[in-house]
Amino acid sequence: MLTEQTDEQLLTLALDGNEDAFTALYRRRQGPVYRFALHMSGSPQVAEEVTQDVFMFLLQRGRGFDPSRGAVGAYLFGVARNYVRRAMEKSHSEAMMTTPAEDDDPHLVTDFDPVSDIARGQTSRVIWKAVLSLPEHYREAVVLCDLQELSYAEAAEALGCAIGTIRSRLHRAHEMLVRKLQNSAPALAGLSGDAARCLS
Amino acid sequence: MTCREFIESAESLSPLQLKLMESKNENLSAHARECSGCGRWMESQRLLGGALQVLRAQTAQREASPNVELAVLQAFRAQGFEPVADVAPHRAAPAAWQLSRFFEVGAYLAVAAALIVGLFLGERMWRDRQAPPAQAQVQKTPAPQAPKLSDDKLPERLRTETAQKSANSAGNTGPIASAKRPQVADAKSVATTIDRQGFVAMMLCDPLICSGEEQVIRMELPGNASTSADGNGNQPVIADVVVGDDGLVRAMRIVNQ
Repeated sequence: MLTEQTDEQLLTLALDGNEDAFTALYRRRQGPVYRFALHMSGSPQVAEEVTQDVFMFLLQRGRGFDPSRGAVGAYLFGVARNYVRRAMEKSHSEAMMTTPAEDDDPHLVTDFDPVSDIARGQTSRVIWKAVLSLPEHYREAVVLCDLQELSYAEAAEALGCAIGTIRSRLHRAHEMLVRKLQNSAPALAGLSGDAARCLS
Repeated sequence: MTCREFIESAESLSPLQLKLMESKNENLSAHARECSGCGRWMESQRLLGGALQVLRAQTAQREASPNVELAVLQAFRAQGFEPVADVAPHRAAPAAWQLSRFFEVGAYLAVAAALIVGLFLGERMWRDRQAPPAQAQVQKTPAPQAPKLSDDKLPERLRTETAQKSANSAGNTGPIASAKRPQVADAKSVATTIDRQGFVAMMLCDPLICSGEEQVIRMELPGNASTSADGNGNQPVIADVVVGDDGLVRAMRIVNQ
């Protein structure tokens, strides 16, 4: 019954004191919020703290949500973005440059092919390191559009900017990622620079 | 397809979308094969898309631990919720809205005050316009006070005669030194009334020009020029004459009768 409700309806019910609605909303939205924080910070601890803070914020200030300004999902990403920024200011670069401990994670998808697993692990480490080293506003665009698979419009709502801004940030972020991958693992990426700059 | 068209269509796609589109859009693939620059860019985007896909797949199932859910639900239970419908409007309204209401009421009060002041001033202006022009003129230029004439300013002969007269008939006339110029209220009253100091207004005064400076001049007339009631025609007549700055006589009074 509650699973058929929209996020906005669940939020209204939750703020009216309906615990089941709040639980349903939490279970629906905690994964994306957690992964956003994880991709942005590179730290599972920071991601957990941010997820908890985001839903605490929703409990206390959820009445301030304005449906005309965007969806609940985009609103939560916007709140998470601020908490990630705050957490990273607190524990600056140390958390940023660490990769997740995949072996300890029970939720991690595993592959039974060890060779493929090693290759994937290497690839993910390299790309994650490259993503984490991007400037914050480029990283947000890559995380939301490429990793969370949000549309440009949804990402623009979450970040509070125009769709064109998202588009240009993504374009610039992809160029930077290609360059970083070239420098860090040319054999892995097999990339060459200055692509698509011929305008014949 | 030109390189420009290739860039316009390919750069609007994310690396993952590009990877999917490549197989569907033959034009993109064909141009990438023909143009080495676009081909290299396409290859780099495909590899980037592949790497991002690996990262995404690796973290796709990751979620917050159950401890987070427990903590959040405990906070939910600890929070006393009020039903939305029961929240009074002033509590549900944001502070900015309440502030704007305050300024709105202030603006209404200011407009009301301005209207009241405007009505008051308008009513006063209307009354001023309704008032007669002569009266308005008198209000604007109050009648000048007559200069006090002291004894030392009088001619010597007049002063001695006056002293004798006052010694002979004390009480009949007031002191000469205190003679004052008559208060000319307006032209009509000048022509028709007798003022308090015994001055008799003259008919020569034109209402339009009788508003300037005046002065009181004491004059002595020969006794045969007047006929007194007691038949004492030889006694000279002393009179105060109010003369305007145009030389016309405004009023006069007989002092020694």
